[in-house]
Amino acid sequence: MSVGRVINLLKFRISPPLIYTNVNFNPGESMNAIEIKDLWKSYGDVKALRGVSLEIKEGEIFALLGPNGAGKTTLIRILAEGLSYDRGEIRVFGEKLSKKTARLIGYVPQESIAYDLLTVKENLEFYADLYDAPKDKINALIERFELPAKKKAKELSGGFKRRLNLAISLLYDPNILILDEPSTGLDVPSRRKLWELIESFKEEGKTILLATHYMEEAEALADRIAIMNEGKIIAIGTADELKALIGEESIIQVEGLLKGIEKLREEFPRLIEKDGILRIQVKNPRESLPRIVEVLISQGSEIKAVKVEEPTLEDVFLKLTGRGLE
Amino acid sequence: MKLRAIKGIILKDLKEIRREKMVIFWIFVFPLMWITLLGGIWGGENPPITIAVGVVYFNETTPFTAYDVVKIMENVTIEGVHIFNIKTYPSESSGVDALEHGRIDALIVFPKGFGANITRGLQARVYVYFDKSDPQNYQIVSGAIKGFFSEFEKRMQEKSIEITFQYMERYMPKDIPISIEEIKEHLLAMVNPLVFEEKEVKGETASAIQFYVTSFIGIQFLFATMLSIGAGTLEEIERGTLRRIVASPATAWDFLIGKMLSTFITIMVSIFIGITYAKLAFGETVFPSPLGWLIIFIAAVFSMSLGLAIAMGTRSIKATNAIVNLVSMPLLALAAIVVPESILPEWARPIANYFPLGRALKDLRLLELYHRPASEIMPDVLWLALGSFGMLVIAVLLYNWAVKRLK
Repeated sequence: MSVGRVINLLKFRISPPLIYTNVNFNPGESMNAIEIKDLWKSYGDVKALRGVSLEIKEGEIFALLGPNGAGKTTLIRILAEGLSYDRGEIRVFGEKLSKKTARLIGYVPQESIAYDLLTVKENLEFYADLYDAPKDKINALIERFELPAKKKAKELSGGFKRRLNLAISLLYDPNILILDEPSTGLDVPSRRKLWELIESFKEEGKTILLATHYMEEAEALADRIAIMNEGKIIAIGTADELKALIGEESIIQVEGLLKGIEKLREEFPRLIEKDGILRIQVKNPRESLPRIVEVLISQGSEIKAVKVEEPTLEDVFLKLTGRGLE
Repeated sequence: MKLRAIKGIILKDLKEIRREKMVIFWIFVFPLMWITLLGGIWGGENPPITIAVGVVYFNETTPFTAYDVVKIMENVTIEGVHIFNIKTYPSESSGVDALEHGRIDALIVFPKGFGANITRGLQARVYVYFDKSDPQNYQIVSGAIKGFFSEFEKRMQEKSIEITFQYMERYMPKDIPISIEEIKEHLLAMVNPLVFEEKEVKGETASAIQFYVTSFIGIQFLFATMLSIGAGTLEEIERGTLRRIVASPATAWDFLIGKMLSTFITIMVSIFIGITYAKLAFGETVFPSPLGWLIIFIAAVFSMSLGLAIAMGTRSIKATNAIVNLVSMPLLALAAIVVPESILPEWARPIANYFPLGRALKDLRLLELYHRPASEIMPDVLWLALGSFGMLVIAVLLYNWAVKRLK
């Protein structure tokens, strides 16, 4: 059995973050889709945003991760709904954020923006009129999102409502798609379907800004993640970079009829073997796992299962803020 | 201004309205109910009213008695309707008791000797009791009874003169320097100094159906229009869709124009249904002239503006519903929407005259029901237009403030 095939098989046993992260992403070649500098916003005495600065590259999926009340929705509403702000600078593809740049941004809010008494198609027709978008795209969007065209919005399930929101935001083919808590309230199959759709948007070259308080969603979808807390961005980076920030190591656990453990120990000294289970402490599991599997297979091992115990973004958030994400 | 966005908002609203059961009721069922109920109750010709009159009289043997008077009263008719419904009481006290308890409208007491006095050509007394607790009712009842006795008296005087002439022709000397015809003329003039002749003219009057068709238009402005635009706009704010519209290439003004036009179209459809139904069900209606439609348009603008102002001021659908009902319920009567201005108390008449919806309805009635010339109405229309524009400015300022709060 080749190493590649084993790794492919193992993917089904490895937690989803390892499958989804860093797909086709090369930020070095992209321009900034969104640039935010020192953004402040208050609601009376409450400071919702306190000097937020970030850059989102064209074509990347960028996640804003933080608990409720961190300022994610405020930041998104400033970008997508023209919510006023106290000071700071926002540029969209180099242009100052304005009504003119509105068509570059598609916004999928948390709540349904469909009118309950209108059918799916009528909702799309209304928003097409509003955005002066071509109506010939409507049928294609209905087909793509597998929407029941003649059903009234109030009769749709949560998952379909979210898909209708997505379809509405794509009517005018925006370059940037902003999604606010896209999978909140969805069951697991609907969430998976939604994630697939979000990935397909990225494949089409769209830049995606995703606000979520689900770390697995951020980890599964985002090229880079900004962790927000109390109106500030406290860390930005890839999931691995963020985890590396707190300096904790991952553990790769291998089960099976294992041979060549001593050879493996030469490369990975922090290794423990007990009751046929091998536990190896590594800094970067993505780099180490293929090598570990390769060494064990080459020594005649029969691997039954591999499990990676990584520090989570929850751990990162806990370490950085002293409290949990929920 | 984005025309496509405005068209989209209008179409969206109309589709929603078509599917909203409560709106369907107020816009399409209510006109039919209102006109059917009120048309059924008060529609058609107004027949003359009948007055319940109690009488107390005593049996006499003279050639002419109180009983004869009562018989004459019983036979008085207008357009085939008996005016007096006579009830006989054995005593004055029982008749008064019946009057006090509302079983009769008036009591006539013919005292003993009435017939004898009349027959002998002497003054005969009649006592009439009226219930004055309701001045309007008293006015009608006393008018009818006094009118009867006045006519009765006149006929008696004419009869007396006729008898006098018979005696004069028989016994008067022939050589006096004045003819009997001349004496006759003078005597008749003494008895009837005024000759009252009744002539008929079919005046400009509104039928009950026509009145209630215009009331229905007023009701739609007081409730459906105000609630429709007020609650409709607040729903868009609460649902977050107005934020979405404001963030789109369309503007908050496009939304407002679209919302006002869709509300206007809906109300016009409702009014048209009411007008047409009245014609189909009762054979009469009010179909406004161009100036009438202009008044309706101005009233609609005022009503939409007031509804929007209340909604933007309260920023709550429940509060808007409560305030619109609180304002509109008393105005139904006080602004002479469902009752004629003539029956309003003095203190309420300024409301009917100066509250723009009351004034608009009054002008519409003057124009369409009483066919007053346009020149008489035009100054009012200008004031109404100014008032509506003022209300629109207030509503737009409040709406602008609400939109700014969204940001």
